[in-house]
Amino acid sequence: MRNWLGPLAFGLIVAVATAWAAIWAIPYGLMNVAIERLGQGGINTMSYGNLATPERQPVVRPSPDLAYSSCPYDLSKGPVAINVVPTPGRYSSLSIFDAATDVIFVRNDVEAGGKPFRIIVARAGQSVPKRAEVVRTNHDHGIALIRLLLKEPAEIGGLDAIRRQSSCGTVTKLK
Amino acid sequence: MKSWHRYTITLVGGLTVGLGAAWAITGGGLSGGAIVNGPWTTSLGFGTKATDPVTRAAVARAGLLALPAKETVYWSSKTDGAGALLDGNCRYSLSGTPLDARWWSVTIYDTKGYLVAGPANIWSVNGANVALDGKGQWRVTIAPTKPANGAWLPGTKGQPFHLTLRMYNPGKAFRADPEKAALPKIAKEGC
Repeated sequence: MRNWLGPLAFGLIVAVATAWAAIWAIPYGLMNVAIERLGQGGINTMSYGNLATPERQPVVRPSPDLAYSSCPYDLSKGPVAINVVPTPGRYSSLSIFDAATDVIFVRNDVEAGGKPFRIIVARAGQSVPKRAEVVRTNHDHGIALIRLLLKEPAEIGGLDAIRRQSSCGTVTKLK
Repeated sequence: MKSWHRYTITLVGGLTVGLGAAWAITGGGLSGGAIVNGPWTTSLGFGTKATDPVTRAAVARAGLLALPAKETVYWSSKTDGAGALLDGNCRYSLSGTPLDARWWSVTIYDTKGYLVAGPANIWSVNGANVALDGKGQWRVTIAPTKPANGAWLPGTKGQPFHLTLRMYNPGKAFRADPEKAALPKIAKEGC
């Protein structure tokens, strides 16, 4: 039995280290899956998703009351600009998540005064346009998500044109 | 048995136990939060940088891309008001007064957090589509078959279910004391 003391202590250390590493890695892994599922329209491009149904549930606990537009971003080649056009009289919000699933920015339509706004997502040190509103992050990847609340699913037909005015893309001009 | 055999066995065992523990520890879901109000539970730490690695992983598993509490509070319930697990075979009354929020909705999910296919294509009720009675109360029936009158949230026979209550832009009074806020009541009426 004494021969097992060393190996058992070793196994315990391995178990604790593995659990810690796995807990740390779970958000990154799940975010990668979400980027893959939501990014079918392309990276650094806004996709205007259909409403959640049992057949279409890209993430867990999707809200059937929300029209989600998503922009999976990649900052490795430069900052990304997100242009948001709120829908009058409706709750909408832009939230930006980093690769660790942390929220790094949120603004809803009331905070925006009901007016369109533009956010630049950039890594530390990346050049950004002057006077731009900038959100800095330590990760290359993440997702920008626009939620638009509907009273009824059928409303999406009338509101789709407005939500499609929101967009995202790589910043090409710095002035 | 040679020494390296023993180390190999405990290495494999340690890896397996570690992965299993990580999965179990982060499986508490949204109901692993610290705030309890009747059958509803939440945490106001969701979606912020301040959350610890365990909460972050648990939220990523149960509600990826969740908003912070100032924007949305997500309440989760697995049980009725009496503490019994929510059962798709049974009929429940979900009722309350308008909530202290700009907008609210209650959505029905399976126990893994996904919408379930059904003939009605209804998975949620919200503050804009429930009617208030003379006392300023709203009431929704959760049952596998449509009630004779009133709003309906379909359950699925043979399947337990969970409810998620979302409160968008909750009021200051609510955020100051969420444990005492008036939340919807979930009462079993029969099975």
